[in-house]
Amino acid sequence: MKRYFAVLLGVLTAIGGFVDIGDLVTDAQVGARFGWSLTWVILVGIGGICVFAEMAGRIAAVSHRATFDLVRERLGPRVGMLNLVGSILVTLLTFIAEIGGVALALQLVGSVSHVLIVPFVAVAVWLVLWRAKFSSIENVLGLMGLALLVFAVALWQLGPDWNEVVHQLKPTSNPGGESWQTYAYFGVALFGAAMTPYEVFFFSSGGVEERWTRKDLGVMRANVFIGFPLGGLIALAIVGCAAAVYLPQGIAVETLGQVGLPVAVGVGKIGLAIVVVGFFAATFGAACETGLSVGYSLAQYYGFQWGKFVRPKEAARFHAIVLLATVLAAGVLVTGVDPIMVTEVSVVFSAIALPLTYLPILVIANDPDYLGEHRNGPVANALGLVYLVIVVIASVAAIPLMIATSTGQG
Amino acid sequence: MSRPDASGWDQQAQQALKDAASDVGTVRIALRTAARDRAWSSYTIVLVAKAEETTGKTEQDLSSVQVPPARRIAARETLDLLSQAVASVQEARAHAADGRYDDPGLVDELTRLAKALQAEATKREAAAQ
Repeated sequence: MKRYFAVLLGVLTAIGGFVDIGDLVTDAQVGARFGWSLTWVILVGIGGICVFAEMAGRIAAVSHRATFDLVRERLGPRVGMLNLVGSILVTLLTFIAEIGGVALALQLVGSVSHVLIVPFVAVAVWLVLWRAKFSSIENVLGLMGLALLVFAVALWQLGPDWNEVVHQLKPTSNPGGESWQTYAYFGVALFGAAMTPYEVFFFSSGGVEERWTRKDLGVMRANVFIGFPLGGLIALAIVGCAAAVYLPQGIAVETLGQVGLPVAVGVGKIGLAIVVVGFFAATFGAACETGLSVGYSLAQYYGFQWGKFVRPKEAARFHAIVLLATVLAAGVLVTGVDPIMVTEVSVVFSAIALPLTYLPILVIANDPDYLGEHRNGPVANALGLVYLVIVVIASVAAIPLMIATSTGQG
Repeated sequence: MSRPDASGWDQQAQQALKDAASDVGTVRIALRTAARDRAWSSYTIVLVAKAEETTGKTEQDLSSVQVPPARRIAARETLDLLSQAVASVQEARAHAADGRYDDPGLVDELTRLAKALQAEATKREAAAQ
């Protein structure tokens, strides 16, 4: 019974924790401009994150060590450093975007400028990262994130023309009449948002925090192969809501308020309250995950004691890194920089950094010294290689597309 | 000050018109949703105030671009439309701040403006090609 409960809780938190500010903004932008025609990218992205999260989780459960720890040992300090720099820059950018996202969510309730809210959010995030138990952070915010399922209810209430939806699912439908360069740019951004590097590092480090063993492989796989795809349904519902309300009127999404407005149109005030709770949970949860991931990656690379499974005093340098990252994020945001702009940049840079994250995981997942009989089989390797080709293409295409489309303006 | 050629100006004008149409359309949906009591006031105010900010910036950015001689008449029409958009969105923000969402005249004006901005953007797109 306890085991079933663990699976259920893991799946539910994986669903609720699947979406972050990058997904919220990019999904809504894509729905508003391209309707359902980029759905295939979301599906490919979900497949990719499942493949690599399973590998990262398996590495943690079998070797009891986290990814950065092994990347440096297995591939040497130079490759490890490349991996670290690429991932940490993107994770830091995402951390800034998530803290900004929490402030934007609270602004929708209080009408106070998000810049004034940022310092309070930063303090709250740091206090949670310092004091709260790892499982509490994951479970409470993950379950609260389920509030975003209200997008699915809103989509049903908005009652789109399902024949038209089926027509738009064709990748070449491009109902907004945007240029193909812009279509490709948003495809890369969507893929970057779905496969953000911090997600696998957090998943792998979380496995070590929660002391996964070989016995937990089944639960871990249930989280990944049931929770993540169901979490992806929230992403599709966000796309659908934006497509139903904004696409026919040629409206582009540039604010978090616009992301939630279709829920108000479809469900009303109660739906709007639920969606704002979902925004808060998704962004606050992801802020905690990215904040921890910054600490995890640096501490694991340099071999400090890390994690929340030991007292803060025993992992003082880890907590100091998390504190510095939080101060830096708040410092950037109080200059007045638009968190949505930071989000847009972070998902594209995430796509650029993908190969630096996923190639080392594939290498380690094949190493019998670490994984023994649990190393990748032919199916995991075939999928890993296919996705590696895709992430390399996305990574190489990201900057040229960003320049050619003036960051997606057309 | 930027000094584009006629085609470059058309592209900038098209983008500005599309952005303004998007803001006006968002404000219209926000007001109608609030009027139907489906959104609370702070949410509506934040949405409309952000649209007011970006519409104003859009108008300001385009008006600071040097107009090529061949586009003087088009520029007058475009900037006039943008200034109407700014005025209507400002009025909408004032209404939202007062909790007066149900003004059919304002909603009709926003609908008209969104269509006019889109139509002008299509003209600028055609001219740019």
